[in-house]
Amino acid sequence: MGELRRYFDDIELGEEYESPGRTVTEADIVIFAGLSGDYNVLHTDAEIMKQSIFGERIAHGLLGLAIQAGLFTRATQAYATLAFVGLRWKFKGPVKIGDTIRVRARVSAKKETSKGDRGVVTVERTVLNQRDEVVQEGETDLMVERRAGG
Amino acid sequence: MSQPSKFYFEDVVLHGVLETPAVTITEAHVALYAGLSHDDPREAGAVPEILPLCLTTGLGWRVPQPPLAVLAFMGFEWHAMLPVRVGDTIFSRSRTATKRSMRDGGVVIEEREVINQRGEIVHKGKFTFLVAKRPV
Repeated sequence: MGELRRYFDDIELGEEYESPGRTVTEADIVIFAGLSGDYNVLHTDAEIMKQSIFGERIAHGLLGLAIQAGLFTRATQAYATLAFVGLRWKFKGPVKIGDTIRVRARVSAKKETSKGDRGVVTVERTVLNQRDEVVQEGETDLMVERRAGG
Repeated sequence: MSQPSKFYFEDVVLHGVLETPAVTITEAHVALYAGLSHDDPREAGAVPEILPLCLTTGLGWRVPQPPLAVLAFMGFEWHAMLPVRVGDTIFSRSRTATKRSMRDGGVVIEEREVINQRGEIVHKGKFTFLVAKRPV
């Protein structure tokens, strides 16, 4: 199975991927509220949200982040990731119930580390909705294994 | 009936520190998270790095203080320094680093650390929120 994963050496700077879409449902939001314990009215009170600038409940920002993380794994062959190191992220617009989001990603940096067996791959990510509006964007840093003897 | 109380921009104390109660991360948390997001753990017992981050947002609701009147979660940066495993018990400690008043609300930047049962800081980052002002 090891060959199926892509090592630091195999990943090229500037590579781009686009994931399939996924429709965010009311159930996704309810499950995420239950899992995280974040019951903010933004995500849970349909009546108050009717009067808000959004007009309805919106998905938790971190739910969108979690969903794009899953979509990313469907956008490209798995990296030989050892660890997620960090991210910088912006929430640009709401994700509403029924919206279909997808992630567009590009390898924006590759850095070798002092340990010769691994390197950091930075991936720029843009989360788009069905109208091609950017709802989230940012960069993630992944620690990826190098090919043995590579 | 009185409205539930909220913590508005005016109530936020610059450099104020807030510690939450803790939560033990279980296989059930990981399974629910993986089912919801399709962001699967890399190996048995591993916790996907985004999950503790999600749990800290809920922990913030378990402190003896009304919830922050967040209008929008604008963005954040996050660093994962140490792995989190199933069975670890985490809590978060946050500190208000910046408070900036705007016309419709104010921007609050919060530094947050996630700490495990051994007192190790496993994850840390900075969150930027747009917070409502107290209605007049």
